[in-house]
This record gives sequence, C-alpha cells and structure tokens, in this order.
Amino acid sequence: MSATNDIPAHALERLKGLRSQGHPGGIFTSDFSVNEFLLVRKAGFEPVGLCVGSCIYHVGIQYGSWSKNQEMDVLSQAMYHARELAMSRMREEAADMGADGVVGVRLEVKRLEWDANVLEFLAIGTGVVHAAGHTTFKGPKGQPFTSDLSGQDFWTLLQAGYRPLEMVMGSCVYHVAHRSMFKAMGTVGQNVELTNFSQALYDAREIAMERMQAEAIEAGAEGVVGVDLHEGSHSWQPHIIEFFAVGTAVMPITTEKDASVIPDPQLVLSVNS
Amino acid sequence: MSWFSKGPNDGGAAKAAARERAAAADARGAAWEAALDRNDLPAFVKQRLNEASAGTVPWLSTMTPAELLLARSHGVRPLATVTATCWYQYGFSWTQGHAAGWRTALERLRQEAIACGANAVVDVKMRTVRLEAGASMDYTLVGTAVRFERLGPSTDPVIATVPALEFVRLLEAGVVPTGLAVGACYEWLPDYNGNLSGYFGVNQPLNTLSGFWERIRRMAHADLREDAGRQGNGVLAHTHFGQLIMQEGGERQPNQYLGRHIVIGTVVQVERGQGVPHGIRSVVDMRDELSPLANSGRSRSSGAMASEREGAI
Repeated sequence: MSATNDIPAHALERLKGLRSQGHPGGIFTSDFSVNEFLLVRKAGFEPVGLCVGSCIYHVGIQYGSWSKNQEMDVLSQAMYHARELAMSRMREEAADMGADGVVGVRLEVKRLEWDANVLEFLAIGTGVVHAAGHTTFKGPKGQPFTSDLSGQDFWTLLQAGYRPLEMVMGSCVYHVAHRSMFKAMGTVGQNVELTNFSQALYDAREIAMERMQAEAIEAGAEGVVGVDLHEGSHSWQPHIIEFFAVGTAVMPITTEKDASVIPDPQLVLSVNS
Repeated sequence: MSWFSKGPNDGGAAKAAARERAAAADARGAAWEAALDRNDLPAFVKQRLNEASAGTVPWLSTMTPAELLLARSHGVRPLATVTATCWYQYGFSWTQGHAAGWRTALERLRQEAIACGANAVVDVKMRTVRLEAGASMDYTLVGTAVRFERLGPSTDPVIATVPALEFVRLLEAGVVPTGLAVGACYEWLPDYNGNLSGYFGVNQPLNTLSGFWERIRRMAHADLREDAGRQGNGVLAHTHFGQLIMQEGGERQPNQYLGRHIVIGTVVQVERGQGVPHGIRSVVDMRDELSPLANSGRSRSSGAMASEREGAI
C-alpha cells in the first residue's frame, strides 16, 4: 500500500505545483498551532480570523493609609474597566467578522515605558464559526462566546458535553497594612501568625473570586472551568497587590451528558522521552 | 580532512597553489555577487542541488530519526538541506525592512527548492546571525527539501515551517502548508495638544491612543492577509512583535508616538469545512513533567505583565 493514497487529491495537486485560483472563503489568520488548528476543526469549527482588542489606560492615583487593610477601589476599577474595554473591543471585532465565538483568548497587561501610570491591556484570540452553520453556539445575548481555553481544551470541553459562554473575571487591588513598629517589636523572635497579613490576602482573593462568580451568574453559566487566580503588582507601592481571577463560564450543550457516555481517557506512558 | 589538505609543501609550488586558492575564492565571491544581482543561484550551488535531485550525492536532512521513519512510510524522500540568507538594512523603516528581508529570503529558498526538483521544503526555521552592523540584520531560512516518490518535481514547491512529522499529518488532514507570510505596519502620531497620555491622577481610557494602536495592529494583519493571499488561504501559528514608543518633542515640537507592529505566520492552503480524518482518543500522559495531574488548571491567559516574555522577531 502506498501511503500517498491517504493524502487528499487537492493536497497532491498543490504538491505537484498546481495552484488553485482564488480563495472563495477569504483568508483566515490565526495564532493557533498546528495541533490546535486540527482539533478545532475536528470539533466542527473553522477559524475565520484573529480578533484583537486593546485599550491603553491611564490609571488614576490612590494612596492607601499606612496601617489599614483596604481595597484600593480606584485601582480595582481601573484594572477591571480597562480589561472589560479590551475584551468588548475584541468581541466587537469577532461579531463584525461573523464569528460564533473566540477561542484561545489571551489577556495581557503591558507597561508602557514613558509613563508608569499608563498601562496597555490586550485581548487577543481566534474567531471561529461552526462549520455546519449551527447558529446556537453563541455566548450570552447572542454575542460571540469568548474562552481562554486552547484549541485542545476546546475540543475536550465539547467532548465533555459543555460549551463555553464567556470569559469571566474579577479583580481586586488591595492595600496590605504595614505593621506598626510597636506591634513588630512585640513579636520579635516569636513564631506567630501575622493575622492581619493573612486576613488581607484572604479577603482580597475572596473579593476577586466573588466578582468573577457574579459575572458567571449573569452569563447564565452552570460552572466555570480553568479558573486561574493570580497576584501581581503593576509598578505600585510594594504593599499594593492585585488579585485577579479569570476563567471560562460554561453550560451543558443541550441537556447535561450522563457521565457514563463520556469516554474515559486512557492512561499512557510515552516511551520516547 | 581531505578538503583541508595544504597541497605541495615546497616553495614555488606552494605559492602557486595559494594563488590558485585565492583566485578560486575570488571567483566564488564574484559568482555570488552576480547571482544575487540576477536573482539567481551561483552555478556551483545549482550543481550541488541538481546532484542531490538526481540522487548522485548523499542526501542531507534536518529530520530526526523519528521524522525520517514517518516521512519514509509516507513516500517522502529527503533531498538536500536548502538555505537562504538576506542581509538587509532598514533605512527609513525598521518595520518594512523586516518584512522585505524575510520576503526576499523566502524567495531565495524557493529558488533552491526548484533547483533540486523538490515538491516541498519542510522544517523551515527562521534564524538570524547576530552581528553588530548598524541598522541592518540577517534574515536566514534553513530547511530540508523533500520529494514525494510518485510525484514529479514541482515548479512551485511549498515551504513548510512545520517539522516533517507534522507536515505529513497536515497533508492527511487536507491542509498544505505553503509558505511564510509577513505583515508589517508603522505610523507616527504627533501629540499637538499634549493630552494623549491623559491627565494626572484620574482613571481614564486613552481612546485616541488606543484607536491609533489598534489601527496599526489591524493594518499589519491586513498586510499579512494580503501577503498570505498570494500563497494560500489561511495563516496559522503566527508570532507578533509590537512596540508603542513615545519620542519626546523639542521646544516647538510636540511629543510623538511611534507604533510599529510586525506579524509572521505559516501560510496554509486548506479546503474549508472539511473534517479531520484522524480518530482522536483522549489519553492522560503519565510522564511527570507532562502529566495534567501535575499541571491542572493552567490557562494561557495571564493577567500578569507580558513585556518580559515578548521576544523580538
């Protein structure tokens, strides 16, 4: 058997040097890797184009009081508002190109070198359409769905009987109180929990998660997958930390699949490593 | 090391041999210069590639043994390692210079592939040799020219940036990687009123600057699509590099913003709406460093700073 038989005729034509003229479907661009591309197609979707939304944002000033645990609401708002603007611009571009959704969204924050208060927020992902023309694969309110899952995870999610609705997020910028000299002196050399620090980190993370959950409820989700919680500081004072929660809100495709019909993954141990 | 033998060791003959070698080197240099001028390859390169095509010299390939196995089982035969280099100076525009440098190198790689009668070049890697040489840079492509056993030589070989392993898998799925596309755009924005960076202390989206930056990105992508349209109907796996820079103005000069963005990706030719013939079975890889049990919940989005990760193209 010759394996060239497995290769479709049009691919062989191109390898002989014959070009097909014209591209009726237009040209798509995507930052998918080869594997992601194949799996998204396997899941029944076709990429239509890269969707980008960006927002350059001037973040306001707020000072925390030295000895108080508190949310920095000006900063929280800025971080949230700017991300929301970048996401909605990306979603708009996806809607313009007729995409059913955006897969593989990355959400990034960059510092611009000329001004510490100016941050660039960037949302970037690949717009996809359902190849068979199903119109129900949309996010909330008929908008394109958004998801930070990779192409591989997207396929797996659909296999599990769920579809993505919306990337949900919550942020909380928090000022962690400094300890007074007097208190610090009191515990020198002891093994003790510094409860005000514990409390601050706990609370800030909790607030970020609650906000993300509120978004998921609003989107009508059954759950949120791939939740990622992280902390960061964006050139603020050392005691100011941002807690950011992000994940993809999902719901069952029609009715929830019974667990018994979902194929079990097979465990393998690769020998070529 | 026969190619390094010194030849005769006595006075007169040694000098004559040295003169001969110098003359040969000069001739080689002149041949390169003439060939690059004509958009062609020097005769000795063509000869090497023709011999590779005929199979009279050993083949050279960047494939690993695993890739060689799969290539051979699918009737793919390696021919020769082909390369292309273009050292390009960017005068008025860094951005356009990059695009032109890569596009020229790609054209040269195609010429080499044609000279060895290949159907495709696989495993094409983009490289640059770093030398301090002012505002200029090296754009080099290296890959392995291959031929399909039952097909004749192609007049328009495809250039695939994927390794042989993925190349065969893509072909089976009806996807042909055909080349590299580059999209680039840059623009200046003068800040006449001095308020593009916003007012101190208040939360505010900078709409003019956002719009300016977004337009540049979109134009770079439009340029990418146009370049891709000459070679196929889609672009995959692109990497991008963008910079927004502020240049301080002088006494009567306003501050100026420069936005530049460049995108490079692999062009594919694909039948839309066709499924993938391969069956997929979900597995859990039990190797420690790859096991999802050890890396659960990792997503690709990051709220963190991205500037450290972004590399130059």
